[in-house]
Amino acid sequence: MSLLPAWLWFAAIALAFWGITGVTQKLATNRISSELSFIWFAYAMIAISATLAVFVPIHWHLRPLIFWAALAGGTLNGLGALTSFTALESGGKASVVISLISLYPLVTVAFAVTFLHERLTLAQALGVGLAIVAAILLSLEPKTPDAKP
Amino acid sequence: MPRWLTFSLLTIVVWGAWGAVSKVASEGVDANTNQVFFTFGLLPLIAIVGRSPRNTGGGAGRRGGIGWAFLTGILGGTGNIAFFHALVMGGKASIVSPVTALFPLVTVILAVTLLHERVGTAQKIGLALALVAIYLLSM
Repeated sequence: MSLLPAWLWFAAIALAFWGITGVTQKLATNRISSELSFIWFAYAMIAISATLAVFVPIHWHLRPLIFWAALAGGTLNGLGALTSFTALESGGKASVVISLISLYPLVTVAFAVTFLHERLTLAQALGVGLAIVAAILLSLEPKTPDAKP
Repeated sequence: MPRWLTFSLLTIVVWGAWGAVSKVASEGVDANTNQVFFTFGLLPLIAIVGRSPRNTGGGAGRRGGIGWAFLTGILGGTGNIAFFHALVMGGKASIVSPVTALFPLVTVILAVTLLHERVGTAQKIGLALALVAIYLLSM
């Protein structure tokens, strides 16, 4: 076990936790509205940030651009959480919705190329093509009805 | 177009923009500070969504639903911090991002085993392509 680098353990924690949230999101919207699910999701984020603010040093004085980018990041991510809760509440299966929305780097690449003037690598260009095909295939629902979870 | 698909596509657009904005923010702030300011950005949404009349429903499953939603936030937020730590501890962004981006694999395994969801053949191929695409896009 010690042969594995420390960063890999943290990456594995992120992978596992984010993967589990796909199912916990579905379990939440099976019981309550997407709006209420979002509110409690956000309360949990506040709890984590409050804990951080108490126990680790926070740099409160940021350059205006960084301040607004970090703030906008939270708003955009929260908006995405709300729309993903709504997708799941609207009958989308966790296995399909989470796989589909995980293609968001497609849009990030488009933004980065257009506004941040980054260049697309060959691998990323191939990824864009595969992502579009994947999105179409994932949106095709099986013809037979599923057992309700 | 089914409603779930419309909202899934909206999520792709909004989270895609978040990815680009995060790149800008991460150039001038550490992981913990980023997480705190990130949460400030959630406050306007809480103020708006908190007014929804649909917040009162839920019936008998309300407490359970709230618990699952809260757990989603705890797992999501902790996952964020673990991801930032992996980067800080020397993992290259070009390697950490593709590794963590494979998280839908965990969701699919759990959804099939715990929620008894069925995945069609086209969707299985789509899932495999999506995992390859996510990996390539994160490089």
